[in-house]
Amino acid sequence: MRRSAPIATALLVVLVLLLLLPFGGGDYYVYLLALVFINVILSASLRPSLTCGQLNIGHSAFMCIGAYTSALLAKNLAVPFEISLLGGAVLAAGVGLAIGYPSLRLRGVYFAMVTVAFVEATRLVAQIWVPLTRGNAGLSGVPKPRILGMTLATRTSQYYLALCLMLVVLLILYKLEYSRLGLVWKSIGMADNLAQSLGVNIANYKLLAFTLGCFFAGVAGAFYAHFIRFLFPPEFGFLLATNILVYNFVGGRGHFAGPIVGAVFLSLLSEPFRGSPYETIFYSIVMLLTILFLPGGLITLPGKLVGLRRRRTVTAPSPSSAV
Amino acid sequence: MPILETRDLTKHFGGLAAVSHVGLTVGEGEIVGLIGPNGAGKTTCFNLLSGFLRPTAGTIVFGGEDITGLRPHQVAARGLVRTFQLTTLFHEMTALENVLLGLHLHARAGLRQVLFSRRIFPPDEVARSSEILAFTGLAAVADQLARNLPHGHQRVLGIAMALAARPRLLLLDEPVTGMNLEESGRVMALVKTIRDRGTTILLVEHNMKAVMGTCERIVVLNFGQKLAEGTPAAVSTSAAVIEAYLGAGLEHA
Repeated sequence: MRRSAPIATALLVVLVLLLLLPFGGGDYYVYLLALVFINVILSASLRPSLTCGQLNIGHSAFMCIGAYTSALLAKNLAVPFEISLLGGAVLAAGVGLAIGYPSLRLRGVYFAMVTVAFVEATRLVAQIWVPLTRGNAGLSGVPKPRILGMTLATRTSQYYLALCLMLVVLLILYKLEYSRLGLVWKSIGMADNLAQSLGVNIANYKLLAFTLGCFFAGVAGAFYAHFIRFLFPPEFGFLLATNILVYNFVGGRGHFAGPIVGAVFLSLLSEPFRGSPYETIFYSIVMLLTILFLPGGLITLPGKLVGLRRRRTVTAPSPSSAV
Repeated sequence: MPILETRDLTKHFGGLAAVSHVGLTVGEGEIVGLIGPNGAGKTTCFNLLSGFLRPTAGTIVFGGEDITGLRPHQVAARGLVRTFQLTTLFHEMTALENVLLGLHLHARAGLRQVLFSRRIFPPDEVARSSEILAFTGLAAVADQLARNLPHGHQRVLGIAMALAARPRLLLLDEPVTGMNLEESGRVMALVKTIRDRGTTILLVEHNMKAVMGTCERIVVLNFGQKLAEGTPAAVSTSAAVIEAYLGAGLEHA
């Protein structure tokens, strides 16, 4: 209780700041933060699968499916945003289920290869299926999000929508992680043979983690489509998928906050390089530095700093060391 | 009727017959030891029985039901639960959480419980797990991470988790390996108590003192085949068994 109070206070402060941002910051920051929220959803939704020990390097494929589905539903059939978003997420989850069912029996690198192949296949479909997606010309004119009959025309209103979506997704994922389900996922990641011997149907649990992740990636994609209003297949390629993975590793895999911290940190820091070749170089360098100096990710940094300070106080005898 | 019966159980790895034509019978309430020199096929046998490997040929009947080819979680659900060699545990979880996961088969968690309950585990499951920890002598370390436990405790924790799954037949893979005399004595006493509470036991172990002192019947494997079977006294004086362990005398070579 005593330990969680400062954390709860800090979270509340962050939330208030995020709620107030549109009043203080300019349109640019509102736009930027909304993109960060999308990245947070993508990053956090990859976590259940990683927890089970499945390396998924194709998460952006499901974002792509969610984005195109929602965009096409809204554009061609004038479906309201709340329905098209759900449609995109459900289709992403459905495809995830179909891909996951046969391939989740594969372990480690073999499963990772299937996801890599799938993300490229999805991108190619989006490029080639011109009558539907307009291919590399890009799908433009995606309607702005329209909720309960109201069109969210301003960047600020869309920002609040993104914030709400992120909070809901994070809340659900948080509850799942700290439930029996989350513990079973963790147990599969630690020792899948032991979990099996205790009666856990590991194939089903892995499939559930993977499909849930795909669902929320679909949610992120659907919002992205109506926010940017222009979809371009190469954006959903292998590169974005690896970035989502890098968020998880750089943020840290040991705690729920890891992928969130990683996504926020990297999205903000890489902003000057967005869309340029330097972005990839930046991500690689950060990934390498993390592996070398912070193998537990950014979330282990505060603990390490405290440890460092303690060691200093011990070596240098000062009046404060007696306390 | 025996609780476990295998007929012609065979497993080939490529050209190697790791287990061939093994007929194994375990009666309800017995403590049976499975011994043999290294590479005799004991662990392969365990993997076959618990569903981690599919037999090349032969059948496994457990509790009157043919369980050949079932997957590990299905085998466990029928009450045939195994432990692992070495210390296979959920190392980053506490001892209590490890046992709580052992309750998996008998726990019901609906979506409502997952999303809206503040507790991960209902109180009755925590109570049941604490009871198992107390029974196995681990109550004092319930809140410690499994990886921080001493070796002896880790091995016993493996047994405690298996008990949580409510086995009718417990397969113990080298339960006292790496333990000192006092520790192994305590674990073998625990094994007897578990049996007295109604769980049949089949164990693989290299510690002959422990095996001879605890098991009522012993099956000896060598080169994947059943070499001998009988009481500890009969097996330990059998010429074939001595030959398998110590090698044949020069005059036989």
